[in-house]
Amino acid sequence: MARSDHCPGDRGAAAVAAVVALQAIAAAFFLADATADIGASGATPHVVIEAIIALALVAGVVTGALQVRRMWREARRRRAALAVAAGALSEVMAQRFREWRLTPAEADVAVFALKGCDIAQICELRGSAAGTVRAQLTRVYDKAGVNSRAALASLFLEDLMSAPIIRPGRDDA
Amino acid sequence: MTGPVAPPRRWDPLVRLTHWGVAAAIVVNGLITEEGSQWHVWVGLAAGALLALRLAWGLIGPPEARFTAFPPSPAAAVRHVRDILAGRRTSHRSHNPLGALMVYAVWATLAVVVGTGVAMTGFPPAPRAHEAGEVAGRPEANREAEGGEEEHEGEDEGIGEIHEVAANLLFVLAAVHLAGVAFETRRSGRQVVTAMLGGGDAPKDA
Repeated sequence: MARSDHCPGDRGAAAVAAVVALQAIAAAFFLADATADIGASGATPHVVIEAIIALALVAGVVTGALQVRRMWREARRRRAALAVAAGALSEVMAQRFREWRLTPAEADVAVFALKGCDIAQICELRGSAAGTVRAQLTRVYDKAGVNSRAALASLFLEDLMSAPIIRPGRDDA
Repeated sequence: MTGPVAPPRRWDPLVRLTHWGVAAAIVVNGLITEEGSQWHVWVGLAAGALLALRLAWGLIGPPEARFTAFPPSPAAAVRHVRDILAGRRTSHRSHNPLGALMVYAVWATLAVVVGTGVAMTGFPPAPRAHEAGEVAGRPEANREAEGGEEEHEGEDEGIGEIHEVAANLLFVLAAVHLAGVAFETRRSGRQVVTAMLGGGDAPKDA
């Protein structure tokens, strides 16, 4: 599964980090320039404005860096939660497959079906005939007590969704 | 890999940015810009700013970017070398102990290079004395340079020497660093490289 690794929050953090780095460089330049101008002509309005800009940039660097840290932490938490959910889902699936006494071949077919592969794709992946796959899928539905792929999928979705719904003490007011 | 879903690791964006920014500055100032030229001075100052940013990040950044995650410890480095020799694979949340020593060495050397650079140009940065004539905008600096030429020359030469030696050391360290990355890549995979690249896989938080 090559697709699962990218996280949108990641790109946002990278963008903010780029701005922070640019601001840090700009702050160094303005500090240098303001120091130069103070040496040359004392505290003229021009120098005062430069100093204010330098201060603003430094403040921007600090708040930006804290923002990057927040975004990075948030992105990491999301990824960890996703990993936990993914791990939990595969555990639930294995458990259910055992309960339903699926054969290894049926379990394979069931996984492909849950991933959204159609019969032709499953045939290709398993190198078996369409009739075989169709028969296996029918037995999977039978053993699971459902009559469609959507119903099969919703069995697992239900397992994952039940926790938050019955969580006590949560009100929408 | 602890399980099928263990995410690949990657450094946070600020670490990556400061790393590549400093790397670029070292290459540019070592190979491209003319010594003592205006560009050389400003690129060096930018590298100093990035170093300062990374050091601040070492205090307030995410856990694996902080100094506490990779303390400079020769003892740990020796242990790490033993692990390597024994063929033991160890995973580290942050830099491995050898890498940590390299990090501090590079920072210290870079600080010396930037510090001596600033000492030579002065802060405000102005081009080196022998090129000062080219800067029309700062006549005061010229006059000062003329007045204090005698005693300034000798002092500057010493600082210039340090600047050059430290800059060369920086290139040696960079070469050792690349060798270390190549070695670690052969030993434990491309992860060392992808962790510092922007694209590719997920973050350094396995």
